[in-house]
Amino acid sequence: MRIGEIVESTSTHFVAESLDLGRPPELGRLVKVHLAEDRDLCAVVCHGETGSLDPGRRAVRRSTEEVYDDQVYREHPQLEHVLRTQFTSLAVGVIDKEVVHQGLPSQPPPLHYSVHGCDEEETTRFTQDLYYFRLLLGVPVRIPVELVLAGHLRWVYRGRGHDEEWLQVAAREVAKLLKQDYERLATVLYAIERDT
Amino acid sequence: MRRTRLGLVTGGTFKTGLGVRLDADCTTEDLRVGEMVVIEGASNRYFGMITDMQLQATDPRLLASPPEAGSTLLAQALTGTVNYATVEVKPMLMLELKADLDEQRGPGPVRTIPMHFAALRKASAMDFDTVFGKEGGTNFAVGTPVPMDIPIRLRLDRFVERSNGIFGQSGTGKSFLARVLLCGVIRTRAAANLIFDMHSEYAFDKQTEDGHFVRGLRDLFGPQILVYSLDEGAAARRNVDVTLAVGLNQIEAEDIMLLADELDLTSTTAATAGLLGDQYGKEWLRQLLAMSADDVAEFCQSSGAHPEATRALQRKLRGVQRRAYLKEEAPFSLIDEMVAALGRGRSIILEFGRFDNPLDYMLVANIVTRRIRRLYQQKMERFEETKAETDRPPQLVITLEEAHKFLNPAVASQTIFGTIAREMRKYNVTLMVIDQRPSGIDPEVMSQLGTRVTGLLTEERDIDAVFTGVGGRSFLRGALASLDTRQQVLLMGHAVPMPVVVQTRTYDEEFYRAVGSSGSWTEDREINATDIWGKKQ
Amino acid sequence: MPLKLDLLGQRITEMVQASAAEDRGRWVERARQLLDSVGPEQLRAKLEERVVRLPWLVGIPDGGVNGAFEVQECPSSFSVVAADGSYIAPDRHSPFRFYVLNTGYAVLTYGRQPSAVLDSSAQLYFQEQDLYLDPLVRSAPVEGARLSAKMCLAEMRALLEAAERVEGRPLVALRDGSLITWGLQTEDPAFVQERFLTEFLTYLERFDALGIPLVSYISYPGARDVVNSLRVWLCTQGDMDCARCPSADVEQFCRALREIRDRELFGFLQDGERSDVFGSKSAILNRYGLHRIHFFYMNVGGEVVRLEAPQWVTGDSQTLRLVQALIYDQARRSAIHPPYPPALQEAHEEAFISGSDRRLVQLLVERSLAERGFVYSGSAKSGSKRRRGV
Repeated sequence: MRIGEIVESTSTHFVAESLDLGRPPELGRLVKVHLAEDRDLCAVVCHGETGSLDPGRRAVRRSTEEVYDDQVYREHPQLEHVLRTQFTSLAVGVIDKEVVHQGLPSQPPPLHYSVHGCDEEETTRFTQDLYYFRLLLGVPVRIPVELVLAGHLRWVYRGRGHDEEWLQVAAREVAKLLKQDYERLATVLYAIERDT
Repeated sequence: MRRTRLGLVTGGTFKTGLGVRLDADCTTEDLRVGEMVVIEGASNRYFGMITDMQLQATDPRLLASPPEAGSTLLAQALTGTVNYATVEVKPMLMLELKADLDEQRGPGPVRTIPMHFAALRKASAMDFDTVFGKEGGTNFAVGTPVPMDIPIRLRLDRFVERSNGIFGQSGTGKSFLARVLLCGVIRTRAAANLIFDMHSEYAFDKQTEDGHFVRGLRDLFGPQILVYSLDEGAAARRNVDVTLAVGLNQIEAEDIMLLADELDLTSTTAATAGLLGDQYGKEWLRQLLAMSADDVAEFCQSSGAHPEATRALQRKLRGVQRRAYLKEEAPFSLIDEMVAALGRGRSIILEFGRFDNPLDYMLVANIVTRRIRRLYQQKMERFEETKAETDRPPQLVITLEEAHKFLNPAVASQTIFGTIAREMRKYNVTLMVIDQRPSGIDPEVMSQLGTRVTGLLTEERDIDAVFTGVGGRSFLRGALASLDTRQQVLLMGHAVPMPVVVQTRTYDEEFYRAVGSSGSWTEDREINATDIWGKKQ
Repeated sequence: MPLKLDLLGQRITEMVQASAAEDRGRWVERARQLLDSVGPEQLRAKLEERVVRLPWLVGIPDGGVNGAFEVQECPSSFSVVAADGSYIAPDRHSPFRFYVLNTGYAVLTYGRQPSAVLDSSAQLYFQEQDLYLDPLVRSAPVEGARLSAKMCLAEMRALLEAAERVEGRPLVALRDGSLITWGLQTEDPAFVQERFLTEFLTYLERFDALGIPLVSYISYPGARDVVNSLRVWLCTQGDMDCARCPSADVEQFCRALREIRDRELFGFLQDGERSDVFGSKSAILNRYGLHRIHFFYMNVGGEVVRLEAPQWVTGDSQTLRLVQALIYDQARRSAIHPPYPPALQEAHEEAFISGSDRRLVQLLVERSLAERGFVYSGSAKSGSKRRRGV
């Protein structure tokens, strides 16, 4: 199921335009790009934003007393055409002929390739090994990775059928990686705990 | 999920011991300070003792805001990753692992340390066998490691080779432990025993504090045990073999010195005995007791003794003279016969009956021991000449309670016990001292005690004393402090390859069956003299 | 180097002060009073009579002059289509002579099923017949005013094509800028004018035939048509010889009126109200036939704008009401202030050619050349403009 198209591509991450305005994939979700016949790039969604298609234009207030929220879109039908939603995904590995290799891809994915959501089976397969947590925690982008990671853990937990055991192993892996920084660790684990 | 691996070595030094980081799923509560553990190095296996435990955190901020109650995910994730435990292990023995089993030798002193990440594991039955030896010969099981069911064996041949000490506060079960050890020595025939049984505890059945009865050595070992008594009256009631009489002629000046405290003598007064001894030789005591006032004055004139002191001495010793077991003269043959019996492998228990006060105890023990040691010395000298095995006197262990009275610094140099302790095994006579105040014992004597078995001690002085002359005391202190108040002891010294905490064997039916014959010997009330002295076992 | 603003500051102050000295408010008030005093019939007669001699543009009232007409409710569903254009002019420094016309359009549908269609279309012209109006002799090059006119035609075409595809009704077609092609008046030879106008009028025909009102929207209009009509009304002379104006008062008033624009005059209109309709006397309109352009002013809520449409729009009261309602509705939906119809805004965005787009076109040309083996270095000046090194 296609959910977006790549419009920026780097070795560490790519930005894709969402096919659905205002509804990018959930934070922390696992997505993939078909690089070749049986070679997929896997990535974790870490950021989403909606704004004007043209960087020179900015969104302005359009609501009134009577017209607000989703009514605004009915009132100004051109909005769907001049706004766009983008989401950023961090590359975490490649599945090559059903074998999982976690790490940065050797090359960034091609522009304009489609982004798909990962299904339950692919998610379970990819998340057996937790090495990729290091990539998520080591990325130098201006996003709060702890909350992205928390979202990711929650999402995988649900995707694997509320796999308690996996969640505990994953929590320990995060603790190992963040053992020098208790506050960051607590941010991640409290975030999950409150939700599950 | 129980695994045998407990953790990995992450630091440490040869001098102070190794630091081990416990695995995430291993809790400190599964381990005990003083427990024997094993570290698997690449080329060596190290047998060591846990000497300390610590809780750590990779980030101190955790300690300021620990997980909220109910945050199970966080708490479980933190354990073993952010917060973890370490234990300090002091290796005591090292076994070089050889691929060729023929070349494999036993464990020896530690000469190196393992590299990082060597695995720590609990000791298995095989490890205990490797270290302490298998059952058989003079290897005798005295108990088990605290949480396990594996026997720890004492090498009784080495135990009796040197003087030993059994220490621990009152109530820690010293007398039961003494019984266990004596049973072991008797059963394995490691040595002959002479037990100065101050409170008549060892020979026959005795009722304990809890109300049940424990068997006596005589009941367990029958004719192998000879029971002597000072108290004629008691002897008649009990199944005593011989009533011992002591003569005034057997009392020497040194006995008076030993009894200075008990008799409440000043040092001057006590020293007067020496002066008397110089003047009158062996008859000094009878002379003193017979002296009139004038005689006293005359004596003081000639010897330079103090009259008042002399009179005081006379007064005190007249009190002693009145004791029922003291005769004017007693033959030394009674004691010599004891030695003969000991020579035939018997063990002798000397009960004191109603004379169970320190004064009588010390006096008689001193006299008897002095005589016995003299005989042993003669025998040993003869053996050295002839070099015939039959002439070799068998190893003798003398069991002594309230040892500090005999071995405190003031008198240690003067009593025969002090001498025996210092002589080590020169004449095949050693001591087994039982005391609750090791700080009362002369440090030089203490350092001669080869094996020390100690229960819980709380006084700093006593703790310091019990470790006199023991290497690595700093880490053993932790083990000592961790002992239970009853039935747990720290075993260290000559008779064990490495110090170990032991839950002592219970002195019960099972034990009786294990060491003695199943039958009770109390049925045979009539034991004739020939039986005792005539037969060889 | 940066502009030396400090040298301009003084002059800017002087300029502003010069206009402020006029005390416009008072004259505007007087102008409105004058408007109220007009008798429409008489003014019409006066204007018809003197029209040939008038050097200024005037507005001929269709009906009254000072009316204010309230805006009506919009229909429940309706559509607005708008188009705009932008071009890349021929570049003297380029090895090729070409120009690019980019038209953008927007169709916005409101009501039960709101929708939007936004798109653009670009075309590059390089052939002789496109570059010169008279290709045989290479005269009348298409640039400047002629290029603007071409652009205008392209916009009209795009607007028409977009409007034709819209199924929903009612539908109003909007564009920005005047429908009065007075820029062509000076064209010579006459056939140039002819060529443009024929096509232009064809489009107006089509809109009429399709029943789609076409309206042009002029924001911040600078026109003075109606004010000029007021000056005529004011004039007591028969022959309007301004050099020999008999009354000093009249002369002063007339001179003051010269500075006032229609949008100020019609400032009395309330939100959503429109003015009366006027006809334009621009000469070029004589050739428009049935499609003569009329105009009116309207307060869209924030400013008074000028709206122009062919007479078949303004002459039909129902259509006029519809146009007024839809334009006011557009203004209401505007996100900016003063308001601007979103349809026009989006059409403009679609048509806009950014600086980087312009450079891209240049790059494409250069690359194409390179593929064929020619390396283009460009004129030195253009090169220096691009690579502004120090």
